[in-house]
Amino acid sequence: MDPATHTIVVGAGPAGLAVAAGLGSRGVPYTLLERSEDVGWSWRNHYERLHLHTVKQFSSLPGMRFPEHVGLYPSRDEVVAYLEAYARRFKVTPRLGEGVQRARREHGLWHVETDRGTHRAKNLVLATGYNRVPREVRWPGQEAFQGTVLHSREFRSGRPFQGKRVLVVGMGNTGGELALDLWESGATVALAVRSPRHVVPRDVYGIPAQVNSLFVLSRLPIALADRLSLRLLDRVVGDLAPYGLPRPSEGPLTQVVERGRIPLIDIGTIALVKQGKLPVLPPPERFTPTGVVHADGVERPWDAVLAATGYHPGLEELLEGASQVLNERGYPRVHGAESALPGLYFLGFRNPLTGQLHDIAREARRITAALGGA
Amino acid sequence: MAELDHWHPALKSEELRARPVGVTVAGRELVLFRAGGSVGCLPDRCPHRGMRLSLGTTEAGRLVCPYHGWSYAPDGQGRSPGTPTAKPCAEALETVERDGAVWVRRQGSSSRFPRWDHDGCYEVGRLRKTVHAPLEVTLDNFTEVEHTPFLHAFLGYNPEDLASLECRVTTEDDRVTVFNQGPQRPFPAPLGALYGVPRDADFIDHWTTFFSPVYTVYDQYWVDRETGERHPDALKIAVFFNPVSPEDTELFVFVHAVRPRWTSWRASPLLGALTRAFVHLEVMLDARMLGRLADRSTSLKGRSLGRFDKALVAHRPRIDALYRGAPR
Repeated sequence: MDPATHTIVVGAGPAGLAVAAGLGSRGVPYTLLERSEDVGWSWRNHYERLHLHTVKQFSSLPGMRFPEHVGLYPSRDEVVAYLEAYARRFKVTPRLGEGVQRARREHGLWHVETDRGTHRAKNLVLATGYNRVPREVRWPGQEAFQGTVLHSREFRSGRPFQGKRVLVVGMGNTGGELALDLWESGATVALAVRSPRHVVPRDVYGIPAQVNSLFVLSRLPIALADRLSLRLLDRVVGDLAPYGLPRPSEGPLTQVVERGRIPLIDIGTIALVKQGKLPVLPPPERFTPTGVVHADGVERPWDAVLAATGYHPGLEELLEGASQVLNERGYPRVHGAESALPGLYFLGFRNPLTGQLHDIAREARRITAALGGA
Repeated sequence: MAELDHWHPALKSEELRARPVGVTVAGRELVLFRAGGSVGCLPDRCPHRGMRLSLGTTEAGRLVCPYHGWSYAPDGQGRSPGTPTAKPCAEALETVERDGAVWVRRQGSSSRFPRWDHDGCYEVGRLRKTVHAPLEVTLDNFTEVEHTPFLHAFLGYNPEDLASLECRVTTEDDRVTVFNQGPQRPFPAPLGALYGVPRDADFIDHWTTFFSPVYTVYDQYWVDRETGERHPDALKIAVFFNPVSPEDTELFVFVHAVRPRWTSWRASPLLGALTRAFVHLEVMLDARMLGRLADRSTSLKGRSLGRFDKALVAHRPRIDALYRGAPR
C-alpha cells in the first residue's frame, strides 16, 4: 500500500484535470487516477460531429484559454486537444489505466481500491463524470428484434446507417443531434419522445443561449426568468405541439433547477422537424422482430433503434455510504464544496444552462482553494 | 446514383418568396414554391398542356398554372377546376431548406446531405454565379492555385513563389484533398492592416473535393513562418458545382469566417461586407476567364499538364462514378 497522500482525484476528464492542475500549482500532493489510457476519455468517445454547445470564451478551465484560431463552439477534437494541452501545461500526470472499484472512509482516511491496489488520502475528489454509465433501457420483445439496438455511447457517426430506417429514442441534446446526423447521412429517421422538453435554440438573434443564461437568466428570480424565456421561445421557436413536441407545464429554468432536466439546445434539429424530415413519434412500447409498436398502438418497421436515453453518474457502486451524500436521483447533493462525508468532494455532476465546463472551472477553483488551505 | 439523386443547392432562401421560381438543376427545369413551412419542387412544366409553372402563382400552399388554373400540392397531386374528375400528377422532388439555401434531390434517394463543418462560424455571404464552362472545366479552375497570381486580385500566391510552393494531393475513394502552402501575396497596406494578416505569413489553402454532389470545401488561413502558429482569422468556403447544361455550370458559394463578429473589431459587419465583395470579385474573375476558353472539352487526354494538375486527373473518374453513377 502506498503511503497516504493529501488528495486523491478520480477521473482525468475536464473536472479532474482542473482540480489536479489547481492542486499542483499550490504544491499540494495528489494522485490522479484514470481508468482509461488517456485524459478526456468521454470526449474522445463522443460522436464525431459533437461541438460544445457553449462558447469557448466561457468554457475554459482555470488558467488556460482555448487557442485563438478555434471557433466559437469548439469541436470534439478541439476539446480533446485542449485537454491534452492543459494536462501538459500544468504537468498533470494521471495514473492511467487505473480504474476505481470502491472508495470508503476508514480511520479518518479515504481508501480507494483500484484494479492495481489501494491508495489512501485525507481527501477524495470524485470527478468521474456526468456520463459514466449509459442509461440502458430494455423493452419487451427486444431479444427477438432482428435489427440493431444501440446506445448513443456506441454511436460515432451516421455513415453506416445510410439508406436505413432508424428510430432515435429520447430527445435530449444527444438524441436531437444524432437524429440530425443520421438524416444527413441519408437514413430515414424518426424521433420517439418520452416526455415533453423545452427547446432552446443555441443562438437567439445571434447571441449564444449560454451568454443569455450567464448574464440575464441566471441573475433573475426563477419565476421571472421562466416567464421571460417562455415569451422569447414563443417568438423564436413557436408552438411545436403540432409536430408532436408539446411544451412542458413548467418553465425551462424550473426544470433545470428542480429536476436537472436540461432543455434541448437546438443546432438545427427543429428546422428539420418543422419541414417534416424528422417525424416525432410516441415512445416505443414493445419490439417485434421487424420493428416497434409505439405507444399509439401502431407498429412501424425499423432497421435500427438508437437509445439516446442518457447517462447516469453511477456513484452508488463506487462509493461506500453513498446514500449520505447523493440525492434520490443519484447525483451529489453538494457540489464544488465538501460533502456530508469529511474530505469528500464532487465535481462535474451537474449541467447548468450556463454551461458545464464553465461550472467545472468555477467549482474547481473553490475546491482547490479549500484543499490547498488558502 | 445519377446527378439528381444528390442534394444540390438550387436557390438562396431569400430568393424564394411568395412567387414560384424556376431553376435548372443538373439539366432539369424545375419550379420551386413555398407551401407553409416547407418548399415544393416540381418539373417546370404543367402535366396538362406543358405550360411553364414558374410563371404561375402560389395559392394556399398549391402551385397554380397560369394557363388553365390547374393546381399542384408539394407532393405533386394535382386538381383541375374544369375537370374535377381528373387526377393529374407531377413528379415531385424532395426539398430541404438549410444553411440559407433551398436544396433539391430526387424523391426516394438516400444520398448524404453535403455537410461541411462551419459550426460556430459566422456567415460572410452566399453567392450564385453561372459560368460558361462544363462542370469538370469549372471544377478544374477551383482546384488548383497555379492560376491565382495571374487571374486574381488578392487571392493566392506570388508568381515568383509558384515553383517552390508546397502542393500535396491526397486521394481517397470519395474525396480528393489538396494542401497548398507558400508565402502570402502582399496585401495593399491598408487592407493588410484591416484584416490583421501578418506581412511575412504563409497562406494555406487547404481543400477537399467531394462528389455527392460535386463540391469543394476550403480552409484558408495563415501561419507564422517562424513559429508555425496559426493566425486566428480563417475562412471556410464551400463551393458547389451544379451542372446547368453540358456547357454551363452554376457556382453556389457559401462563405464563413471562423472568428465571431463580436470578439474583435476587425470582424465587424463592415469587414464582412468587404470580404463578401472580395469573394464576389474573385469568383467573377474566375467566371470571366472560363468564359474565354478556346477549348471547353472536359477530357484531359492529350493536354500538357503541370504539377498542379494532379488533382484534376483524380477528379475525372470520381465525377463519372460517384456523381454521374457511371459503371466503373
